[in-house]
Amino acid sequence: MSDLLLVARHEWRRLAMQPFAWSLAALLMALMAWQFLLGLQGFLDVAPRLGGLADAPGATDLIAIPLLRSLSNLLLLLVPLVTMRSFAGERRAGTLPLLLASGLGNGRIVLGKFTGALGYVLALVALVLLMPLALGLGSTPDYGKLAAAFAGVALFAAALTAIGVLCSAWAAQPALAAAAALAAGTLLAIVDAGARLEGIHNDSINYLALGTHLEPFFRGIVASVDIVYFLLVTGVALVLAARRLDALRTRPD
Amino acid sequence: MPDRNNPLMDNPALELVHVGRRLAGRLVVDALDLGLRRGEVLGLLGVNGAGKSTTLRMMAGVLAPSSGSVRLDGEDLHEHPARARRHIGYLPEVPPLHAELTTLEYLRFCARLHAVPRGGVAAAVERAVERCDLGEVRSRVIGTLSKGWRQRIGIAQAIVHEPAVIILDEPASGLDPVQALKLRGLVRGLGRDHAVVVSTHVLPDVAACCDRVAILHRGVLRHLAPVPAAALGRYIVATARPLADATALAGVASAERLDARRWRVALRGGGTAEVLAAAVVASGAGLAGLAADETPLETTFLGIAGGEAAAA
Repeated sequence: MSDLLLVARHEWRRLAMQPFAWSLAALLMALMAWQFLLGLQGFLDVAPRLGGLADAPGATDLIAIPLLRSLSNLLLLLVPLVTMRSFAGERRAGTLPLLLASGLGNGRIVLGKFTGALGYVLALVALVLLMPLALGLGSTPDYGKLAAAFAGVALFAAALTAIGVLCSAWAAQPALAAAAALAAGTLLAIVDAGARLEGIHNDSINYLALGTHLEPFFRGIVASVDIVYFLLVTGVALVLAARRLDALRTRPD
Repeated sequence: MPDRNNPLMDNPALELVHVGRRLAGRLVVDALDLGLRRGEVLGLLGVNGAGKSTTLRMMAGVLAPSSGSVRLDGEDLHEHPARARRHIGYLPEVPPLHAELTTLEYLRFCARLHAVPRGGVAAAVERAVERCDLGEVRSRVIGTLSKGWRQRIGIAQAIVHEPAVIILDEPASGLDPVQALKLRGLVRGLGRDHAVVVSTHVLPDVAACCDRVAILHRGVLRHLAPVPAAALGRYIVATARPLADATALAGVASAERLDARRWRVALRGGGTAEVLAAAVVASGAGLAGLAADETPLETTFLGIAGGEAAAA
């Protein structure tokens, strides 16, 4: 465990020293803040008309959840940029032997890299979450629904991060790793789009899609089937990444 | 007493048993047998593409052998990798540095990575900084340093955890002559308590700081022997004025005239360069130059890899 945290903390320290990580965070915050303010303005415009409706949606449904849904879409692009250097960057810089020659096993190296990248991504998600939480100053957000949405986005981010780490372990170039992770994440996100157009919503193809399992969290539903799905994707990707490190020791390219 | 030159010796710190490695279908290292004890420095020589770096990567556990086994204190490196690798310090051909960190931050991480206890990290890092003469750049960001400094930080990360076996791939690469001389002293010092493997192209480095030399050619171990003892006591002397007979100099066992002002001399047992220099000065011929004679090692090396070395 301490080995894992050692690698993860080292990743955080390295990220903190890179303008890239700060620029990415600033860009995301600016985009999210803009969307939050637009959502808030839209809510204020329709709020007087909502008062007369029974069971009218509140600020959580009209501002916070669309914001987090939009964040989840941005994560498809952002996470590959964070994870692309995990292994591909090390290979390109010739620094991977430092980890490979250490006493850490491949599994711990992969978990350390994953934890490091996920920690950064979750910090960004938490910062974005502060915006809807600020609504608590003037209204009463549905904290339960917000917590469920945060959990969903966190699990979604974990799955994307694991896919990104796997792609970074496979590719020799960070740009290639980012492109592969973006393609894999997007494919998993839209794999059931055709089926949905045909009106199919409960088939195995739907089960494969990331969105199928993320959407219930946005409705405040935390189901074990969705949690298991995200954990499964994360676990399989990390195991494959560790296998890839094994292969790099036996069949370097 | 066990034969130090026997590739498979008793209780070696590092042992390669019939190690072979194929890369992209080509046999890069073939059935290599090699043993190394603590307190010994092995120089690994070979032309480019001879299989030196591949051999070192297998020793460090970064690359698995296709056949045979690498053992550390008798334990198979690939059966017990986590335990065994903690006893290895490895400097690859390209130092594995994290350019965005300072020297101290990086070395602290390396120490922890190699299981130095948290309480001992500061002392271990200080020792490595001192040994590699890094005090001047301890708080500098690695990415801003010159190649020589980076190379020395690379060496520091390989020794920070005081491993039993230290593997250095071209450690003198990028060092200026003064730094290269200091490196020889450092390697010699490390060789007192550790088993050290140094790969290099520089024959004088091998003569100056290695106990044994292994010459690889096309992946095959073609020569494994103590560094020629003769190399240690042989010098080329250049004089300002012609010297009549170098054999008459104090401490000289034999001498061969190379030209009017240059002699190749072999010293008697216990003779030193300092004594030889004093004798030349005392002869009145004037000392114009004094250098170690690398001919025995050079002859061996060129005899094995001569054609390709000349072509290169």
